[in-house]
Parts: sequence; C-alpha cells; structure tokens
Amino acid sequence: MEKGIIAIAAALVLTLTAIATAIAQGITASRAMDAIARQPEAAGGIRGALVIALALMEALTIYGMLVAFMLVGKI
Amino acid sequence: MEHTNVLFSIGPLQVTSTVVSMWGIILVLTLLSYLATRKLKDVPGPLQNLAEMAVEKLQSFFADSLGVKHMRKYFPIFATFFIFIIVSNYSGLLPGVGHLKGMAQPTASLSVTAGLGVVAFFTTHIIGVRERGLKRYAVSFAKPLYLCVLMLPLNLIEQFIRPMSLALRLYGNMYGEETVTEQLYEIFPIGAPLIMQVLSLLFCLLQALVFTMLLSIYVSEAVEEEE
Repeated sequence: MEKGIIAIAAALVLTLTAIATAIAQGITASRAMDAIARQPEAAGGIRGALVIALALMEALTIYGMLVAFMLVGKI
Repeated sequence: MEHTNVLFSIGPLQVTSTVVSMWGIILVLTLLSYLATRKLKDVPGPLQNLAEMAVEKLQSFFADSLGVKHMRKYFPIFATFFIFIIVSNYSGLLPGVGHLKGMAQPTASLSVTAGLGVVAFFTTHIIGVRERGLKRYAVSFAKPLYLCVLMLPLNLIEQFIRPMSLALRLYGNMYGEETVTEQLYEIFPIGAPLIMQVLSLLFCLLQALVFTMLLSIYVSEAVEEEE
C-alpha cells in the first residue's frame, strides 16, 4: 500500500510539472515565432531570449523529475 | 551511473570515478590547447584553425550579453566554463562511460555541478565588486532605496538561489538523460537508446550554452550601472 502511494506520487510529480511546463513553453515558443515572423531582422536576439526563457521553464520540470527519482528510490 | 563508487582513497579523501574522469578531461584539454598553440603561424594548420574558430565564436557569443569591453577583460573564465562543461557533457556519450571503473560523466554528478555553481557565484560577485567598488555594489542590492526593507532580503535570497538553480539544472538534465538512456536500454537493448543519444547530442550543447549564457547575464547585471 505504502509503495503504491509512493509510486503514484512519483508519477504525479512528473506528469503535473510536465503538463504545466509544456503549456508555458508552447505559449512562449509560439509568441517567439510570431515575433520572428513579424520582424525577421530581430531573429537573433529573439532566439537568444527564447532559449533562456525555455531553459528557465525547463528547470521546473527537472526539479520535478529529481523529486520523482528520489521518490522512486524510496520504493 | 554510480556516483559513490570510490576507486581509492588518499587519507580521508575518497577518489571517485568522477574525479578521475575530470582529471582526464583536464589533461586532454590541456594537451589539445598546448598542441594548438605550440607553433602559431600566420597561415594556421588544422588544429590552430579550429582553436581560432572556437575562440572567435565564443567571443562573439559572450560579447552579445556582456558587451565587448567586459567580454575582453573576463573572457578566459567564461570560455573555461563553457569548454569544460561541453566537453564533460559530451564525454557521457563515449562508450563505456558510467559502466567502467574510472569513467563517469562529471556533470551527471551533483557535487561537480554544485562546485561549478559555487565558482559561478564567486565569479559574479568578485567581478561586480571589482568593477563598481564594494560600497556601490553592496548598495545596488537595496535599490530602489525607498523600498530597501522589501528589496534587500529578496535580492539576497535571489543571489543564493541562482547558483543552486544553475547547479540543479545542469545536474538534472545530464543525470536524467543518463537514466532515460539506461531505461531505454533495459526495454530494448538494440537501437532504442540511440533515440535518446541523438537527442542528447543537442541537449549537451544546449545545457552548456544555457549555463554560460545565464552566468554572463548575471555578470552583466552585476557590472552594469543602473540609473
């Protein structure tokens, strides 16, 4: 019983963080593409900012994944 | 995969595979840069050409976020960060790394990335103090002054969270990649891990870029004069 709950918790941590991050990254990427389409000359700067923003969001999923690994280790 | 496999110990110091492979990477890099700069010529040979190209690319990359003046002054430390991280990341793709004794991907160990984070922390603040003077740099954390009671603790906490998030991001990505590859290998040994390894060709470069880009943004924030 205990183990089952831990396993579900580990799965939930990863899925919930992944869902949230996917939504956020999707919005960011689509806006960046809009911006590039509207103003192709600024593509370089936009790409740099995009990578940074995506990495900062990515970090949240990574934290979730670390927690999930820790939980899996406890089973 | 194992981060605690101690090879041998010198007194109280335990030497792990990660440490050994880090020294291996350092030796290889030293040898390469020695060979590339041994006989500098006007018409470069292949190795010198490669090194010049790498330095030029890195310079233009850091000049974007730091500005040319500060980039020239502090280029060595940023380039060192980048080259060390990217070579460590790609070392995880060599056959046998993680399974053989004495070979482990350095950046997939939290101790290494935490060390890099600590160095990044001190780099930011030492450069900040050097460029702006201790007093003005310290005051910059309390700006705007009419909100200093509110802003000071927030800014200080942020300064300590930054190296932590740098370290955790790099570690999490590299360790996660390794684990996923291993899981895929267990599901289907032939071909399946290749999917993740091709992806990690991209991710290794991206993580090295993100680490150094964030560091250079932090430094440029510490250096710039706010009005």
